[in-house]
Amino acid sequence: MSADYALELHGVCKRYRGFCLDEVSFNLPRGYIGGLIGPNGSGKTTIIKLIMNLARREAGEIRVFGLDNRRDQVAVRSRIGFVYDVPGFWDDQTLALHRRALGAFYPRWSDATFDRLAGEFGLPLDRKFKTLSAGMKTKFALAMALSHEADLLIMDEPTAGLDPVFRRELLQRLSAILQDEGKSILFSTHITSDLERVADFITFVRNGRIAFSMPRHDLFDAWAIVKGDAAVLARLDPETVRGTRHRSTGAEALVSDAASARRALGPSAVIERPRLDEVMVLMEGEAAHAT
Amino acid sequence: MLRNAIRKDLLLNGKQFWGLIPWFAWAAYALGQERMGAMTAVSGALIGALMTVSICAREDKFHATAVLASLPVMRRTLVQARYLLAFVMGAAALVLVAGMAAVLPWSVQSAAQAFEPKTLLLGAAVAGVSVALLMPVAIRFGVLGVIGFFAVLQVAGIALLVLPGALGMKDVLKGLFRAAERGFVGWHAALGQPGPILETVAIVAIAIWMSFYVSVFLAERQDL
Repeated sequence: MSADYALELHGVCKRYRGFCLDEVSFNLPRGYIGGLIGPNGSGKTTIIKLIMNLARREAGEIRVFGLDNRRDQVAVRSRIGFVYDVPGFWDDQTLALHRRALGAFYPRWSDATFDRLAGEFGLPLDRKFKTLSAGMKTKFALAMALSHEADLLIMDEPTAGLDPVFRRELLQRLSAILQDEGKSILFSTHITSDLERVADFITFVRNGRIAFSMPRHDLFDAWAIVKGDAAVLARLDPETVRGTRHRSTGAEALVSDAASARRALGPSAVIERPRLDEVMVLMEGEAAHAT
Repeated sequence: MLRNAIRKDLLLNGKQFWGLIPWFAWAAYALGQERMGAMTAVSGALIGALMTVSICAREDKFHATAVLASLPVMRRTLVQARYLLAFVMGAAALVLVAGMAAVLPWSVQSAAQAFEPKTLLLGAAVAGVSVALLMPVAIRFGVLGVIGFFAVLQVAGIALLVLPGALGMKDVLKGLFRAAERGFVGWHAALGQPGPILETVAIVAIAIWMSFYVSVFLAERQDL
């Protein structure tokens, strides 16, 4: 375990009734954006809750900037900006009052930063939290998370309730945050295009396990979608096939070694660079097939 | 951090205090009644202390517990703040009642009555034990837990009134009530003596101490 990583998870387990997060391990180096993707109920939110110590892990180790997230929870949380999937604040209180009450907990809290962000996000500070739309609530949670010079931003589905214009703006802002060296971001999302736009590392969670966790460029450079008929796909090295889908018009396979697929198939098959949604669909198809 | 936690509770739940207006209206009336004695001050301490239980319930109602638990503060400190605030609020309510007793022209009670050792002990016992019972429930089960707690008390009370009659044990119930009444009156009368004072202080302190540790245990193990 090293302080060069913003986040390190090693062998993390958590069991709920009917669900088990099993031996989850992945790292996020400092200064990078990590994206968590996976179908509903795969364990993304549970992983984030475990990192934030909102849920107790049953096994494994979680370190944030080299510090244990449980033993050093106060130091760890003071360096994290957190946006929950459904932001819950005090409905009958104004945003300004929230700033006064909650900002005081952070040693590096800045009212000026919060006010500037609230202005940029169009948040009226005299409005009560309950009067905000879902998107505005997320913007408020973001403004809170970004106002204490957090070294690591952790966001659970932050773009879900946002309109496309603000979503794009947010992603640009996240990239800009990284200009400040050493800051890191981990966020979960269903919107794979968001990850393709900004994430440096992609971690795919499936049925409580990590299906893969790797740099985005490695994924897009090394992996490929192979299209052809069943006979063509049968010539692929089975070790590299990560998922398949059969249609009336042909078949598709997701392979983790594009170069070897090209060598094996030559021009007889169409080999394309994968999109993240295709990776998810094909890997999910494989999982459904396996079960 | 403890100071921030208390400040946060006061800032974000300030509106709750308006809910005490009906009680203060009743207290203004009760201060003019000779028979109420120390009950106005004691009920003030109780109501003030229980405000913190309603703060826990509000947090749960607004689904704000996760936001709180993600702040850079130990859950233990947040629980500590609640118990400390209960004490402060109970004491503040007692002072307010004393102030009202001094100011209201129709008050038959003096301000000093609220600070008599017997009144203080009774207030501390009633408020302390109530908080000790309710706080772990509010922290672990939130607003539904508090409602459930009172619902169970209601059902138990109704059962206590109805069942002995149905089972032909009315005399047993009457005997129990009289024994409880005698016990309470006897305890209250003895509060001027050092032994019962020490016993009362010890019991209330132990109840709050145990309740605090149960609350911390529950809060630290709660998955949000």
